This record gives sequence, structure tokens and C-alpha cells, in this order.
Amino acid sequence: MYRIRFHGRGGQGMKTASRILGSAFFLQGYEVQDAPRYGAERRGAPIFAYVRAARQPIQERGIILAPDLVIVADDSLLPMPAAGVLQGVTPRTTLLIHSSEAPETWRQRLNIAGSLLTLSAQAEPHFAGTALTGAAARLVGVIMRSALEQAVRQELAGLGEETLSANLAQALAAYDGMAAHAGQVSEGEASAAVACPRPDWVDLPLDEADAAAAAIHAGATSVEVRTGLWRTLRPVIDYARCKRCWWVCSEFCPDSAIKVSAENYPEIDYEHCKGCLICVAQCPSHAITPIPESSEVKP
Amino acid sequence: MKDEAITVYKHMKDLPSSRLLGTGTPMCAGCGGLLAVHQAYDILGEKTVFVNAAGCMTLLAVYPYTPFRGSWLYTAMASAPAGAQGVRDALDIQLAKGRIQPEEDLQVVVLTGDGAAYGMGLSSTSSAIEHGLDFIYLCYDNEGYANTGQQSSPATPHGAKTATSTGAQGFGGHKKDLFAIWAAHRPAYVATVIATEPVDLARKIEKAKNLKGPRLIIALSPCPTGWDFDPQETVEIGRLAVKTGMWPLKEYENGRVTHTKVPPQRAPVEEYLERQGRFAHLFKPERNEAVLAEIQAGVDEYWAEVEKIND
Repeated sequence: MYRIRFHGRGGQGMKTASRILGSAFFLQGYEVQDAPRYGAERRGAPIFAYVRAARQPIQERGIILAPDLVIVADDSLLPMPAAGVLQGVTPRTTLLIHSSEAPETWRQRLNIAGSLLTLSAQAEPHFAGTALTGAAARLVGVIMRSALEQAVRQELAGLGEETLSANLAQALAAYDGMAAHAGQVSEGEASAAVACPRPDWVDLPLDEADAAAAAIHAGATSVEVRTGLWRTLRPVIDYARCKRCWWVCSEFCPDSAIKVSAENYPEIDYEHCKGCLICVAQCPSHAITPIPESSEVKP
Repeated sequence: MKDEAITVYKHMKDLPSSRLLGTGTPMCAGCGGLLAVHQAYDILGEKTVFVNAAGCMTLLAVYPYTPFRGSWLYTAMASAPAGAQGVRDALDIQLAKGRIQPEEDLQVVVLTGDGAAYGMGLSSTSSAIEHGLDFIYLCYDNEGYANTGQQSSPATPHGAKTATSTGAQGFGGHKKDLFAIWAAHRPAYVATVIATEPVDLARKIEKAKNLKGPRLIIALSPCPTGWDFDPQETVEIGRLAVKTGMWPLKEYENGRVTHTKVPPQRAPVEEYLERQGRFAHLFKPERNEAVLAEIQAGVDEYWAEVEKIND
């Protein structure tokens, strides 16, 4: 059974990518499962989707814990433990990363013994999903070019001819580009139910209702959630140009992530800023500029 | 809590500079609804209890996290005003029995999206107004069932593409006039607001806060995900909604409707529509002149009516 996991950010098309790959397997006669993982399914938030494909009926359910292939659309997710990109990766797992950096760099950075490939970052990042799907189809080696094409057409039919053909070209180019690695990803062993850990009995102590209810006993506990991880571009304030206006940036920040200091200067809370960049668009003196999150200069 | 002095909001500098709403919510980046909620909460203050019907904002308080300083109650889609009735009654009983002091009283605020406000929850809102319930209703109107992928709602504008109106003409229906429906109940106060006009919003929330009885507010909430535009354009899109006259800012009080911000020279509706992916089919591959003219005519007709009444 093939077990493939897609990691990306909400809005990058991981759900669609997994559907295309699933359909391509299906067209080759495989039994298929594909599903996105529904969590805080929001633009920019880390999400994953997975595909299982086998010649026999698939009895496994739930998220994939032992992947044969892990696909990463956004390389800023790799160092983020919460995204769980490397979960269950073994030396027989292939990693496919959409990145402008060399495979060797990632191999050293992640200390990965197994196979690691990169698909060079496209000029237009919104094609990452379909390009990665095309590459994945070649890596498993059992999907014909025509099946991939049919799957892309099927899944993107509603997007209009222009978008469809642009995506198709990306998928097929990536498929062709992976010729040297065709069939490198092999099927993992079917796992039997007996191999799974038995469910544990969980004892819940019987508390009084006011203590046992799902009540929250403090205010604004949401600050514990680091939504700064969603950001791909970071707004940076040039204090030389900040006119200390009436906090336009802070007023228009949906996330309460811009505080106003005692000296009336705005301060961006990077632990929580989601990178919407409304502050960049609204600053009256154009004192806020976006820089790529991956750049080395941290404020 | 009625002993607090009324704050006058005239300029940006009158607005609070510190934020009550906590960071770290799971709302989308650039959320126009969250923007309105944080601005309203800054004015309402900590002594507020939110009664939230199912919708995007349901995700604000996912155990054990909440961005609020005080209590939050979650109800089914149609029943937030009924939940508010229960909370108000409980507070009134506690006050009557002397278990809480008048200064410990809370403002009961219903928070729902347009799916609940314009549709499923309209019946229970009607009853709450009829009973004279002392509460504030704050609707963040993102013109669709945004949390589940922007299916059309009774607040979806004519011609917009949604997950359930994907044809060449977009949504065939027309946005329901909830302001008029609410005002027809003759409650204490009804207003429309938008977070991109924060002074107007602050003034209206402050007014509502200091009145008694049913007070209802609709905040048009540009939605980058559902309306399909870049998150950094949320404020710009909201301003265009006002400038083109598509979102009239007004209030109802004592049987009278007043427009609080009349665009001096209305921009063509196209300037608002063409910035949003949900209207892209009206411009490409060729312009749908019929639908564009129909939308413009609807806006012109509305403002002609306003001028007639004001003359």
C-alpha cells in the first residue's frame, strides 16, 4: 500500500493536490483513500492531506503515521515541530520539498538519511500543489502520464480552461522532470490490526460539575496560540519614518497584534501576527514594509 | 453599569489605543469580521458576556482558549437571542436577590454571522425584540456561510459567485434588507457599521451601550477567503463598499432612520466589484453589462429614495 502525506499551508491547494493524486491512482485501477486533515483550516495555517492507494481493499483509517512519501509545498514548515512534517519518516521514506534550496542543504539541515528530492520553487507559487502532484505521480512509478492528465482535468474542470491548462502544464512538466527517479517510492507493508496498540481504558475521575465542565477560568488565554507561524511575509516598522499617528496600524490590525507603547510607537507582536499586511497597506506614512519570513534578518 | 459616562468619539485619536480582544484566534489573516469584533469590544469593555451562534466566530473560543476577558456562551445557529434571554434573566435574578451588585452587571451581546442573523436566527431575534430583551445583537455580515466554504446566504449580494452559485450569472437572489426588517420591529436602536470606518463604528457602539432594550448592529465584514481578495486589501475593499454606496451607514432610533455617512460623490459600483474574485465572472471573459447595470441601478435607486425623504 502506498501511503503519501502532503504538507502545506491553507490556500496552497494541498487538498486539491491530494485529490488529483488520488484520482490518478484510481484511474490506474487502485483502491484509494484521500482526505485533508480538517483543523483550523485557514489561509496560511499549517494543514496536511493524505492519500492511501492499494490493489487490495484498504482497511486502514485515520492519519498516516508511516509514510512512504512526504510532500512539502512550503519549506518554512519543516523547522516547525507543530506542523509534524517529519512525523514517522524513516530511511525508506522519500521526502519531496518545494524549495529553491539544494537537496544537499536540506539533507544536512534535517539530518535525513533517506532519499530527499527538491522541486525548485516555481515563479508562481500557486502552482506548487499541481507541480508536486505531477512529481509524486512519477515517483510512485505506477501512474501513466495519461492518467495524471485525466485526473488533473477531472479535478480542476470547474476552474476554466485557462487555469486548467496552466496547471496541467505544471503537473506534466514536473512528471517529466522526475523521470530519473521514476518508481523510487515503493509500497509499504500492509499493517494488520493486531500490530496496532490496543486502545487504553481512560479513567475519568468524577468531579463536581463546576470543576469538570469545559469552563475556562482565565481571560484571553488565546495568547497561548502562536498564530505567528502562519506568516510567510513579515511586516517591519521603520521607526525613522513612523509619525506616531493615531495608531492607524493598530486600529486596523484584526488580530490585536500591534500594541501601542507608552511613547505612542506601534510594536508588532510577531508571535501572533498572521501576516495579513493590512498595516502595510494602511500606514499613512508608508513606514511598514513586508519582508520574506525566510530572510535571515530577524527584527 | 449605566452610570458610566458617555465617551464622545469624533476622531481617530479618541479611539482606545489598547486592545481587549486577545491575540491568537483562529480567524483567517485579514478577517474583516474579527476587525469589527475587536473594535466593538474595545468600546463595550470587559463587562460583556458574548452569546455566539454557530459560524466563523465559533472558533474564537475553542477550549481551552478564548480571546475574551469574560464569559462566552455557544448556542445553535438559530438560538443565540434565546440564549441571551436566559443569560439576561439569570443576571436579573442575581441582581434582584442581591447576589451581584449593579456595578457587577454585564452587557449581554449576541454575536452571529449573517447566516444566523439574516436567516436561521431571524425568528428568535424577532421574538427577543418583541419581548423587549435588554441586549445588543452584533452581526458580522460576510455575505455567505463563510466558515463552511462560502455557500450563499440570505445576505449574499446579487451576482456574487459562491460555492452554491457558480453559474455565469452568480447568485440570482438579492441581499435581504435586514436593517429594515429589524427596524420594523421598532427596537431601541438599529445601526449598520463597518470596521473600515472605526470612528462611526465606535460612536454607534457607544450609543447602543448606553441605551436599554433591544439594540441591533450589522457590521459588513470583508472576507478575503470567501470574497476572494488579498488579505491586505480588507480595509480598502470596506472603504469602497461605503464610497460606492453599496453599504449605507445608517442608524434607526425613535422611529427615524438617519444616514451617518453619505458618500458625497458615489464611485461606480464596479470599483468595488472588480477588486473581488467573487465578481470576476462579471468582467471576464467579457463584461456582463446587464448584471453590472442592474447592481448599479439598485444602488442609485436606494440613494434617490434617501434623498427624496431627506428633502
